[in-house]
Amino acid sequence: MRKAIRNYLVFLWRSSQVALVGDWRYYAWMGILAVFCVVGLNAYARQLAHGLIVTGMSDQVSWGVYIANFTFLVGVAAAAVMMVIPVYIYKNEDLHDLVIFGELLAVAAIIMCLAFVTVDLGRPDRFWHLIPGLGQLNFPASMLSWDVIVLNGYLLLNIHICGYILYCRYQRKMPAKWFYIPFVFIAIVWAISIHTVTAFLYVGLGGRPFWNSAIVGPRFLASAFTAGPALIILAMQVVRRVTSGPLPEGLAHGLERAPADEMRQHPAIFDDLEQLKRQLPQLSSVPEQTLREILPGATVLDVNAGDTLLYQGETHPFAFFVLEGRVAVERKESGRFRMTRSVGPGGQFGEISALSGTPRVATAIAEESARVLRLPAESLRKLMKTPQMHRIISSRMSERLMITDRALMTLRGIVQVAMIINVFLLACEVFTEFYAGGLHVASSRYLYLGLHGYHALVPWIWTAITFNLTAMILFLLPVSRSLKWLNLTCVLCIVGIWIEKGMGLVVPGFIPTPLGEMVEYRPSLNETLVCLGIWAFGLLCYTVLLRMAVPILQGKLTQMGETGPARHGPSSAVKIAPAA
Amino acid sequence: MSNQLSDGTRPPLEYDGVTRRSFLRTSAVFAAGLTAIAAGLAPLLKLDDFPSLEEFVQKYYKEMTPEDMAKVLKRIEAQVEREYGIRPHVRDLKPMNGVEYVYCLNLSRCIGCRKCVHACVAENNLSRNPEIQYIRVLKMPHGSFDMDNAVHDYNPAMVPEKDHFYMPVQCQQCKNPPCVKVCPVHATWQESDGITVIDYDWCIGCRYCEAACPYWARRFNFKKPSVPKEKINPDMAYLGNRPRRQGVMEKCHFCIQRTRAGRYPACVEVCPTGTRKFGNILDPNSEVSYILRTKRVFIQLKEELGTSPRFFYYFDV
Repeated sequence: MRKAIRNYLVFLWRSSQVALVGDWRYYAWMGILAVFCVVGLNAYARQLAHGLIVTGMSDQVSWGVYIANFTFLVGVAAAAVMMVIPVYIYKNEDLHDLVIFGELLAVAAIIMCLAFVTVDLGRPDRFWHLIPGLGQLNFPASMLSWDVIVLNGYLLLNIHICGYILYCRYQRKMPAKWFYIPFVFIAIVWAISIHTVTAFLYVGLGGRPFWNSAIVGPRFLASAFTAGPALIILAMQVVRRVTSGPLPEGLAHGLERAPADEMRQHPAIFDDLEQLKRQLPQLSSVPEQTLREILPGATVLDVNAGDTLLYQGETHPFAFFVLEGRVAVERKESGRFRMTRSVGPGGQFGEISALSGTPRVATAIAEESARVLRLPAESLRKLMKTPQMHRIISSRMSERLMITDRALMTLRGIVQVAMIINVFLLACEVFTEFYAGGLHVASSRYLYLGLHGYHALVPWIWTAITFNLTAMILFLLPVSRSLKWLNLTCVLCIVGIWIEKGMGLVVPGFIPTPLGEMVEYRPSLNETLVCLGIWAFGLLCYTVLLRMAVPILQGKLTQMGETGPARHGPSSAVKIAPAA
Repeated sequence: MSNQLSDGTRPPLEYDGVTRRSFLRTSAVFAAGLTAIAAGLAPLLKLDDFPSLEEFVQKYYKEMTPEDMAKVLKRIEAQVEREYGIRPHVRDLKPMNGVEYVYCLNLSRCIGCRKCVHACVAENNLSRNPEIQYIRVLKMPHGSFDMDNAVHDYNPAMVPEKDHFYMPVQCQQCKNPPCVKVCPVHATWQESDGITVIDYDWCIGCRYCEAACPYWARRFNFKKPSVPKEKINPDMAYLGNRPRRQGVMEKCHFCIQRTRAGRYPACVEVCPTGTRKFGNILDPNSEVSYILRTKRVFIQLKEELGTSPRFFYYFDV
């Protein structure tokens, strides 16, 4: 038990150290975010000292840009589920490795949500009044108390799922399914609930006709599933770009060599298979007869550091097992080197394209002098006749950490459909409001057309509508299959929905007041700085989380100092379950 | 953690090992960060409204014993004396048995003079800067009850103006109050005499009640309320007109410090036209019982919302 706790603390310590290491771009990015955080903190301190008078809010418009951002970010957090559902329910392979990035985004978004609610409080010192047991949480009557519970619950769920899977990867252990799969399914329902509850926060107010409409809940979900995955599409490309980076030391020149024929190779002997058996115990399940059958086709390669074993794009029917040393598997996407994986003794690579006869999706380069066993595909199939080897060889099919263009296109499909639904629901809302008319329409009139000479929000909402419609059309056109256009479309989505759902939903609900008074709202400078500070803090959190997660997922940060890899699994990641 | 492992396994990549240089660098970065954070927090030095520990851990109103309450009232009295130089009398008045307050307002009589607004401000120690008022008088065009046509900031030389009527709106003391339902911490609740009260020491200032109220009756202290020392009303109640803190809600409480001691609310007392009637609906001989029994038409604002106000508007018909 004590050892387990110690191991866990070492894990936290080592991964937090990783977060402090990076190149100059990393430091510059973190530095800029830190500056914004401190500026925001300063603005918040001013607000604490002088009161919410330093914001643009008033008794007439008593919620503003804080709650608007909160509402938007709950949507972003909920949208992580749009990656979880395809992976866990539809077994989507492309999104498999990315789902943890979505969940980490949810963690960062919820942290921002909680910060935005806190800065909106008049008496943050009394937050403990909300804690059940200590305070007086008005559950279940108040929708805000529901929000307190679902948001914190969602935060814990995501921290548990991500943390557990990353810790298992770090330990090179197979995650115990019962310990996280039930939580994944709870999180799916929970994600829908956080946004529904947030919508009910508004919908439940009978005195505010603008919000008191059943369609607000579905609209919230549709817009969340548009903006959230759009944000993930952009974030993933940033991750892909920065993790591509330079190759590990000593490998940079490896690509220029053409080492395939320089490599010393000789036919494998039975002792080589015995050596592999020691590192890959599952091989013992294969009858000796079969091993002797495959021996004639097997070759052992002795390579030096930097030698390339196979090139991305070429096609030949061989799979590889590492006997000694380590091999890096690098993948090129859109012209740059992306995610890598490091394979140690007992590990395998190249088996997927060997079996399927497809072009290699990655390049394999020896990180140090290594001995590698090369097997033709038919031998591989013979080995796979025992269930143990079958599991080992096919397990890797789903554990690649790679952000593929295909994964981004899957997300594009989700955003596309969600955007169409979002625009449709908006049209329903607008029709109901304006066609029937009546008193009900005052806030909508103010929002879309201006009322009694007040029209601060009109340019904003039309910008949002233009952005959303343009994004929808772009999504329908094949042009958005190119990354450049896809990114533009995603930015349009995010900005459009941020306006529509944030300021466009919160503020007009208050204008005119229930007594018909017209008072407009404009965020103050101080309020804006607090918002920027919180966004910077959220991005900082997300950057740190990614910085910690990526090396673990790549197999670069492991518990090797404590226990050798052979104890838990034969190689770098062979036994490791799919990332969640 | 050693970088060379005897069993030949690869040491972890660059992440281990703290050299002296990296230690110094890290320390420098941390020191700079802490300085920046401290500098960022500097405005907090101006925070004079900091709660004492005693206030911070103060119990919820309904969980306080009479002894707890006595202590709290003493503390409040001392605070008021320190701040305003006047010794107040702060009481925790409980609702009376067999009493349910109801307010009736005669729209045929109101002339829009706003004397009620001023009396309320004086009685309830409402902030003068920024101005907080519990009563909003609406000037409405003759013949229409549409509040979208209401004028809030009328300021003629003489009231009443031709072709208009006036409708004062304040907390309607609903039987089914949305504000109570939405409060996440039970800081506002309905008492047995029908008054919806706020524990100013429990409110967290989320302003959800302000969004929920269909009558725009709730007010938030966006900054520390300011009341001139000489204008302080020293007759105070815990749930009533004692000075509020920055960042909490407040609203009309039917002058709880007066009505629970058997007096009329300030707005009723000051009204020069007899527009405002107040009393116990459970007493069949009260004025309000008589009005609700005999007047043909009376109006509960936004009746369709089901809030069931205890505030009735009526006409001399």
